[in-house]
Amino acid sequence: MEYKNDERYWNINLLNKWFAISSILFLLSFVWMFYHDNDDEFKTYQKEFRKLQVQVSEEKLREALKSTDEKSSYYQNKYKDELDKYNSNQTYLDSLNTILEKLKGDFYKANMDFLFYKAEVDGFKYLYEDEIVHSHHHDNQEKHEYEHKENYENSLIVLSDLKLKKESYEIEISKIENLIKEEGADLKIAKAELDKYLKEVNLLTMKLEKIDREKMSIFNQIGDFVRDLPILDFMQPYYKVNQVVLNDIKYDVNFASVPSVDRCTSCHLGIADPDFINAPQPYTAHPDLELFVSSTSPHPFEEYGCTSCHSGRGRGTDFISSVHIPNSKEQEAEWIEKYDWYKLPLWLQPMLPVKYTQASCFKCHQSQPFVEGGEKLALGLTLIDKSGCNNCHYIETYDTERKGGPPLTHVNEKLNKDWVRKWIKDPQSFRYNTWMPHFFGQENNDSEDMVKRNNTEIYAMTEYLFPENELNDNNANEYIGNVDNGEKLFKSVGCMGCHVIEEESVALGNVDVPYEMHTSNYGYEPDTNGVDYEKSTRYSILKYNGPNLIGLGSKTDAEWIYNWIKNPEKYWPDTKMPNLRLSDSEAKDITAYLLSFKNEDFENINFPDLDKEELSNITERWLSKSFPDADVENKMNSMSNEDMIDYVAQKSINYYGCYTCHDIKGFEQGKPIGTELTYEGSKNVHKLDFAHIHFIDHSNYAWFEQKLANPRIFDRDKIVAVEDKSRMPNFYFKPEEIEALTTAILGFSNDKVSENKITYNLVDDKAIFEGYELIHKYNCQGCHVIDDFGGQIVDFIGALEYSPPNLNTQGEKVQPDWMFKFFKNPSIIRPNLQVRMPSFDFTDNQWNSIIAAFQHMDNRNISFESDYIVNMKSQKFRAGEKLHEFGACNNCHFYGSEFPKQGAQTWAPNLALTKERLRPDWVVKWLDNPALIMPGTKMPAPYIPDSLALSLDNALDTWGKDVIGLDGDRQEMLEALRDYIYTIEGPIDISKLIKDYFDKNGYEFDSEEEDDDFEDEEW
Amino acid sequence: MIEEIKHIIDYISDPTISFTILTVFFPLFFPPNDWFDRLNRKLGIYNIWTNKGGLFLFILVTAFFYLGFNDKNFSVILLKPDNFPIILMIYTMFFFTWYAMKKAYINDSRLEDGKKPLEYNDPEDKVLVWPDLVYIELIALILFMVFLMVWSILVAAPLEEPANPSVTPNPSKAPWYFLGLQEMLVYFDPWLAGVLFPTFIIIGMCAIPYMDINKKGDGYYSFKERRVGYFIFMYGWLVLWVYLIIIGTFFRGPNWNFFGPFEFWDPHKVVPMNNVNLSEYFWVIWLKQPLPSNILLRESVGFIVTIIYIMVLPVLLAKTFLKKMFEGYGPIKYTFIMIFGLTMLSLPIKMYLRWIVNLKYIVAIPEWFFNI
Repeated sequence: MEYKNDERYWNINLLNKWFAISSILFLLSFVWMFYHDNDDEFKTYQKEFRKLQVQVSEEKLREALKSTDEKSSYYQNKYKDELDKYNSNQTYLDSLNTILEKLKGDFYKANMDFLFYKAEVDGFKYLYEDEIVHSHHHDNQEKHEYEHKENYENSLIVLSDLKLKKESYEIEISKIENLIKEEGADLKIAKAELDKYLKEVNLLTMKLEKIDREKMSIFNQIGDFVRDLPILDFMQPYYKVNQVVLNDIKYDVNFASVPSVDRCTSCHLGIADPDFINAPQPYTAHPDLELFVSSTSPHPFEEYGCTSCHSGRGRGTDFISSVHIPNSKEQEAEWIEKYDWYKLPLWLQPMLPVKYTQASCFKCHQSQPFVEGGEKLALGLTLIDKSGCNNCHYIETYDTERKGGPPLTHVNEKLNKDWVRKWIKDPQSFRYNTWMPHFFGQENNDSEDMVKRNNTEIYAMTEYLFPENELNDNNANEYIGNVDNGEKLFKSVGCMGCHVIEEESVALGNVDVPYEMHTSNYGYEPDTNGVDYEKSTRYSILKYNGPNLIGLGSKTDAEWIYNWIKNPEKYWPDTKMPNLRLSDSEAKDITAYLLSFKNEDFENINFPDLDKEELSNITERWLSKSFPDADVENKMNSMSNEDMIDYVAQKSINYYGCYTCHDIKGFEQGKPIGTELTYEGSKNVHKLDFAHIHFIDHSNYAWFEQKLANPRIFDRDKIVAVEDKSRMPNFYFKPEEIEALTTAILGFSNDKVSENKITYNLVDDKAIFEGYELIHKYNCQGCHVIDDFGGQIVDFIGALEYSPPNLNTQGEKVQPDWMFKFFKNPSIIRPNLQVRMPSFDFTDNQWNSIIAAFQHMDNRNISFESDYIVNMKSQKFRAGEKLHEFGACNNCHFYGSEFPKQGAQTWAPNLALTKERLRPDWVVKWLDNPALIMPGTKMPAPYIPDSLALSLDNALDTWGKDVIGLDGDRQEMLEALRDYIYTIEGPIDISKLIKDYFDKNGYEFDSEEEDDDFEDEEW
Repeated sequence: MIEEIKHIIDYISDPTISFTILTVFFPLFFPPNDWFDRLNRKLGIYNIWTNKGGLFLFILVTAFFYLGFNDKNFSVILLKPDNFPIILMIYTMFFFTWYAMKKAYINDSRLEDGKKPLEYNDPEDKVLVWPDLVYIELIALILFMVFLMVWSILVAAPLEEPANPSVTPNPSKAPWYFLGLQEMLVYFDPWLAGVLFPTFIIIGMCAIPYMDINKKGDGYYSFKERRVGYFIFMYGWLVLWVYLIIIGTFFRGPNWNFFGPFEFWDPHKVVPMNNVNLSEYFWVIWLKQPLPSNILLRESVGFIVTIIYIMVLPVLLAKTFLKKMFEGYGPIKYTFIMIFGLTMLSLPIKMYLRWIVNLKYIVAIPEWFFNI
């Protein structure tokens, strides 16, 4: 057909073709868009996981079937028999059901009648009530006739009839129902038994029916497919983003804190399921489900999510967008290969490499010196304290209360100038593993000019520290004793709880040097021999709590050492060194021993004389920083040499921040000179100056690592004035120490956690934390095992039984008021030990905190308890007395001043002290199994006869009627024994007695040998 | 060889050099008068507006991008999702300029031969609104939707880090279409570059039809019949707008320092910028005396220069060089053309003053937030 007026200038067919092409393209891109929108990475993983789940469940089902195999036929048959029996009665049941149905119909009608009429009755009631009310209004005295009264009352009668009728049906129905139930009762029991037996099988079967499409009915299969179709999946999809909103853990978006949202489980689907512990990633279960993720652990996923510890982008739902960070170069390469991985830029908190995850513990556990599983963090924090990082760098959440180094206010009593100069310049040349860091000889100040300048500064600072005389090298005999005795004492009284004397550095092995870690010239350089060096751990640094006491003969004199070990606080009021109550002769012997170590290499070093020209150069440079050039010249002219030394010294001490770690006269008000580290872990990477160092990762931890390894590296290739050079000293940390320190620094974050998540708020008595801190700070664990950690001194003493006691269960073990008395005035408890409990000069508050901490470890919090009163007339007590005879306690234990029967090496605590010292509950536990509480103890469990032993023929002769009367009840008998011990009388403090004995007889026995004999002979 | 080419490109991309090259050679491409036209013919530049010339342009631009794509520094900038529209813009801009000029040159030669322009009676291009045009538009719409969808599938939205008032991105850049304005901010006070100029650009473009008295060139492509207008507009559009966007996108790095396209964006780079105000030139450097404390006296020189530029100069021009034009347009149209024209011209003038004599502001009264 043709249209005449159809004027066209374009070829309509051509346009149609274009339209067709563009429409098809549009359709294709539309489909592509849908595909792209629904093709989420996590769905692939979820599909894969579903298959895995089916596999695992099938496997478990097979196992469950196998384990139920033998008996299942029994239950099956039983059930089948009952079912047959039940079915055989079918006609009877049918008739019952017919009656029941009819009755139910009748009941329905009767109930309806009743309810309808009830409504009518309420209507009548209203009318009647209304009448009563109105009659009052008219206030007629005459008796009123109520029109509706009768009506209402009649209706009540009808209603009760209806109710009766309805209820009679109910009774009928329940009768019939009971009959039916009775018929099925056995069947039901059989079914229940079968179900109970096959519970796991049934559960697994049900689970499989839900997840395995092959096991579904056709309708469920269709439903299972449809629920995940695009758009329809808004309702109840199987494959979906799994997320948890963490209201207690906030993410800081600068303008507001928003709750973290973690979607990690969209892919990490097996994270909380122990069945998947060996599954491949991303389905692997968390390696420590007892501590994390699972709902019964202290950190359930619903409350803590994942990013609170691991960081990363919790909202990410694919590998890249959740900002995974590889743990090694190899892993990085693997990821790039596998996932086209790259580090998503701009996200401020990328995932922490696994080696730094412990940093996150600090967010909530910041007041605890140690958190279980937080070894690395604890090491880092300890190192911060020991190296005095927080002296120069203020850390609000990990503040220090004391200066890290000794006071230099009267250093002239201890040292001479020459030693001090050489020491400041190169501490490791004297002591290869000192905590004193190196300021000089670093990469930004080892040029000839800088060495000249630094030597002059050191000279000036030293002069400043010695305003008066120097050490006068008083090695008079009055301070010197016997070297051999000294050595014995040093090794036995407990010095080695905190000190070592290691003249040779421990050999170092192939240190894998990441990036560019600079190592020391003396101790920690990588060794090609392949010998492993001693890695730092929390445990290994216990013995370095005090300095390695080498070379003292080249350092100080006898007078000083003698006075110091006699009373450390006199020289340094803040010292951590306790008083060991050494006698004069003991102190002399130890002094002699310590002075016998000399460092000749150090003595032979020559420190150059003062370079006056350089001194005036430095003075001029500093002056010109604060004064106009004209004034500088005037000032210079008016300054004498001494003035310049003084001026340069003060400037240098300020510049290097010496006063942050040492007390120095004139610098009492000095402020920390370093960057504040309170939120260093959250510091934006842009704010860390990588300068011209491009070979390290652009991440905060890489920067921290590098700064710790070589603090001056970021000055490399920079042109800076000498006064502006970076001056953080080099501590020559070992690689594992750097890792631990970096962990701690990363922990100093400003992530917001709700108050109820911070452990400090969860404990009522805040003194507990102080107690833990004191235990940690004063290195109690150098000698004692406390909270399952410490006691390194045993490595030197050699045998557990001659080492300071294990203090596990201490809070439950001793009476707090006794503990307080003991701390204030330690007496000898264990006569066979040479190691002494030192006296610490703590305040009452501090001691109370320590006691509170001990009690907290054992979940106790009572300070005072009533005395334990023993009924000495009871049968139990008499039984105890008898049992005690067999225990032969007095072989080892003192009974007041009564000495044990055996030799000194097996001596054990005074039992007369028990009632003062120990808690009765604990004593029973102890007697039950001493080795459990104190591994390595020589105390054997006393023999307690069991009922079999007591029923033997000669039992009455052997044990007496009182013991037999306890019926072989072990607990009762242990209590009886305890009761007896609590009545042992005698002097309580026998320290003097023991001391006198050893003074007379000496303390000579080889612990190792005796040990063996002892075991063979007696037990 | 390639490294050398990159170095040369880096060197000449410096705004002072590249802007000068563009400004100097611009009249050769769009000759505003006979002299330039003759030069254009002599050098054969007009050949660019042919199919071969277009292909050459296309290859040249693509080669540049190809070089950039394979360069580790330039590729970082080129492949940013933000910068994708700019690459599209460069191609479309070249294409439409080339297309218009090609048609214009054909028409110009036809007109010279006394023929009518191509469009005069060209049934091929005649379109009925209904149904043809609407149909074509529908097809275009669908194709454009396809393009947008594919683009959004392939390139994710360019999100940045969470906004943080204490950490601003470095360099901190405006959206791509405003980068020209941001570039102007380097030379002008914000109230000029950010408020006055954009307003003038919009009003000025609205005003063009009212100021145009040229009856020729209506309804068909033509260059020769309105070559002065063409030249001025294209200079404003291509050099003062598009090229500034390109500078802002590809050549401005950290701290708003200038970097050649193949250079590494080193955040440590320091370029001293000691800029001097006109008042300081006059009083301190020339007269060797302190700045007067009276603000108006201090800035009097700047005010005089400004008044001469916008008030005296047009009058002088009307009496001398532009006498013909003044007569043709009449005082009102002439005044408006001068206001818009001189404002536009002030941009390159100010840029050169900055580059050559480090001039900061002609009138500098920071006390009142008034700087020119």
